[in-house]
Amino acid sequence: MPADVHQSIGVLTRQLHDALNGLGLTDKVKGWAGEIPDAKSRLSYIARLTGEAAEKVLNRVDQAKAQHDHIAAETRRIGALIVKDPVAAVAKGHVMNFLTDVEAATQQVDQHLTEIMMAQDFHDLTGQVIAKVVTLVANVEEQLVQLLIQTAPADAVVKAPTPPAAAAELKPVLEGPVVCPEGNPDVVTGQSEVDDLLASLGF
Amino acid sequence: MANELRFLVVDDFSTMRRIVRNLLKESGYTEGDEAEDGVVALQKLRNSNFDFVVSDINMPNMNGFQLLSEIKKDEKLKHIPVLMVTAEARKEDIVLAAQSGAAGYIVKPFTKATLEDKVSLILTKLGLK
Repeated sequence: MPADVHQSIGVLTRQLHDALNGLGLTDKVKGWAGEIPDAKSRLSYIARLTGEAAEKVLNRVDQAKAQHDHIAAETRRIGALIVKDPVAAVAKGHVMNFLTDVEAATQQVDQHLTEIMMAQDFHDLTGQVIAKVVTLVANVEEQLVQLLIQTAPADAVVKAPTPPAAAAELKPVLEGPVVCPEGNPDVVTGQSEVDDLLASLGF
Repeated sequence: MANELRFLVVDDFSTMRRIVRNLLKESGYTEGDEAEDGVVALQKLRNSNFDFVVSDINMPNMNGFQLLSEIKKDEKLKHIPVLMVTAEARKEDIVLAAQSGAAGYIVKPFTKATLEDKVSLILTKLGLK
């Protein structure tokens, strides 16, 4: 990098630093810097939850399909036995065994379907976290616009845009899913802790 | 008796409403309805008969705490058990829910067994099972 460019960047940085100090915005900038890791944690949480949900669904589908294929093959085999000799198929227990197999398989497939349904809870949890990130981005954007206006030359000042109403609406009232529960004594990490807490209070 | 109970499932995410209702159906509780927030839930509770409420907390318009408070203030509704099913994991929220009259508290993500156990426990305590 040429020395004069380097020097120009240094001068601009100093001017920006002075401007921020002069406008009392240093603390705000520090605040934004603190929010970025929070947003990163939240996005990582979303990636993890969606990944786990997809993995769980695909595993359950694989297992259900294998059981489905087994029942389909058994149905063809028993069908052929019945066509060949219906009395023998019943007398030798092939039909009864098949019915037992079908009942067991349908129960297992039902469990897979329930787990696939439960895996969709990521939509709720990630939706709440996404809403928080959207709010954070909207806040940073709004403050950056304010900074731009306050530091712009007088003849270039334009009216500040009104923050989008949607951002305000998305602002969650409560904390939502805990993205990093580790080392936080104020939150529970699972249902057993909820039960213990309520029991300790006599509920 | 238990299978005839009417459940109201309250959550702003339709996915979660479907999950909870399907789990309740699998447990034999086939009767019920759903609402997307506390305001709609309160209207439905006042216009129809329900025996059990399963409610999220973080919702627009009227959150789960506000809904719980409204239910417990209403002479005609206060007997209805309210099970909170929520991602709110702060201890102070759990304690607040219990002190406000919630019959139970489940943190998301949860399992089918957890929901079944809590519903069963509450119904047994109330003599409805």
